[in-house]
Amino acid sequence: MLSESARMTTAEEAKFRINAPNSKPRAIKVIALDQRSQAVVKKLAEGEWNQASFFASVHFDSPPQAGADWSMKAWLNDLAGRTIKLMDEVNNADLVVMVANAGEKAEAASVIGEACAAKRVQATGLILDRKSATDEAISTTLLHLRPYASMLVVADDEDYIESMLVALRA
Amino acid sequence: MLRKEQNELITRTGPGTPTGQLFRSYWIPALLAEELPENECPPVRVKILSERLLAFRDTEGKYGLIDEFCAHRGVSLWFGRNEENGLRCPYHGWKYNTDGQCIDVPSEAPESGFCQKIKLKSYPLVKIGPALWTYMGPPEKQPPLPEWEFAKVPDSHSFLSKRFQEANWLQALEGGIDSSHVSFLHSGDLESDPLFKGAKGNKYNLGDTRPVFEVVEQPGGLYIGARRNAEEGKYYWRITPWVMPCFTMVPPRGDHPVHGHFWIPIDDENCWAYSFDYHATRPLTDAERNAMCEGKGIHAATIPGTNFIPTANKHNDYLMDRAAQKAGRTYSGVEGIAIQDSSLQESMGPIVDRTKENLVSTDNGIIMARHRLMRAAKALADKGVTPPGVDPAHHHVRSASIVLPPDQPFKEGAKEALVVKEGVPHASV
Repeated sequence: MLSESARMTTAEEAKFRINAPNSKPRAIKVIALDQRSQAVVKKLAEGEWNQASFFASVHFDSPPQAGADWSMKAWLNDLAGRTIKLMDEVNNADLVVMVANAGEKAEAASVIGEACAAKRVQATGLILDRKSATDEAISTTLLHLRPYASMLVVADDEDYIESMLVALRA
Repeated sequence: MLRKEQNELITRTGPGTPTGQLFRSYWIPALLAEELPENECPPVRVKILSERLLAFRDTEGKYGLIDEFCAHRGVSLWFGRNEENGLRCPYHGWKYNTDGQCIDVPSEAPESGFCQKIKLKSYPLVKIGPALWTYMGPPEKQPPLPEWEFAKVPDSHSFLSKRFQEANWLQALEGGIDSSHVSFLHSGDLESDPLFKGAKGNKYNLGDTRPVFEVVEQPGGLYIGARRNAEEGKYYWRITPWVMPCFTMVPPRGDHPVHGHFWIPIDDENCWAYSFDYHATRPLTDAERNAMCEGKGIHAATIPGTNFIPTANKHNDYLMDRAAQKAGRTYSGVEGIAIQDSSLQESMGPIVDRTKENLVSTDNGIIMARHRLMRAAKALADKGVTPPGVDPAHHHVRSASIVLPPDQPFKEGAKEALVVKEGVPHASV
């Protein structure tokens, strides 16, 4: 007699899996941290997404720094140029993806990261090295992102961001 | 998730498929060397990449990997007589050499030259270390031989096992890339398995169950770094290299041997899990070798006389022990790291439907590996671009476990440790 596991793991049995959605769309906020990343994020925004939204830049009332609720004074610009409170966007997010170009200091990461920490929202950092970045350039950017991202990816082509967002059902 | 067509692209490895073509760019393990232990030993059936083949070792010790079936009437040459530098079909006596060339057709006069017109498909088969390797791609594109460290160290330093796994190769590979499952599924084994226990690094593993991950591309594939807190604000890093298409190496623990895997498609619904252990600078001890033979560490006990079918397998529900699960002796109720992995990967079904999955950001290693596999398969199919991992220089990688200052990227801080250095042990905590 066949065991339970042997009977239930055939391709035939796979046909009886429940064919119903098993998740709700996740709100994913994709934020460019520097000028070069903005172009990548803008291009991505042209695609069709479930609940992903894209932001071209971050700005502050005064120079950014970590701590002391600085995230309360940070603002995002969406692709239409509207200014939106960072905290409001993070509050509505399931995941925040910060995109930075290797070599950039990505200082805004500290403020976004703190906003995410305050709201218990996961932050992922994505560094584009475009196959040409030096180790030093990557290190510079990693250093700024590392304390604030629970997942960091150094990718050598920008197509990866789209793959990642599709994989995450953005 | 993957779209349906992406899942098809990346899981199918038979002849003519893009990912099949990708696999056919590499030297891959076809058998354990011990499966053909001596000249004129019995031939062995080999099914890889959805092709039925037969491996044999002739009178002079030459290895051959040829079409399993006689060109005459389609008999399996597994029944053949391995004699006088060839394999003779027992049905009508047709004989083949290790290149698949027919060298005798008894019913035809030798001077007719008939047998010269008969040749079975064959692939090169080469012994390097404890494995026999084959290359199944176009002969004109055959790359240099592989240079994996575990296969280059003396035989006394290395151990290789294999087991049959009833799941698509990608399900198995993704388990090797997914470091985050270790804190759950294998948590019971860190302090009990003889090939893991006692390492200082285990303390960090068990003390910080929420590692943070960094995924970095490297020429042959990826490095996946898992970061945990160590003393004085430093980080304990466990760095896993993945080299395309299917090689991964587990980060070391203390002075234990280092282990890793190749997952080789048998067909689209089954694969071989090859598992190696080696030490770069010393022979394995008898105790270590015995533990590996018994199925400890990443190895699995298999049923003697079968084709490497694990003792605990889906036909006996993996010897599920609910009492052990409840008591916390094992996390899933299944014993042994290899079978803990295979039981769950097989439970997904022969080819898991990735359109239904819900990945999270800690799955970026898996997402990146899929991305690179698909990109390489397409580039090869469309433009003939040689994929990463073919160049033997890409094989000179190591895993590492290392403590670094908080501001140091692992790729920089562990730069030396991630490259093979003859005579130097792995960086290990």
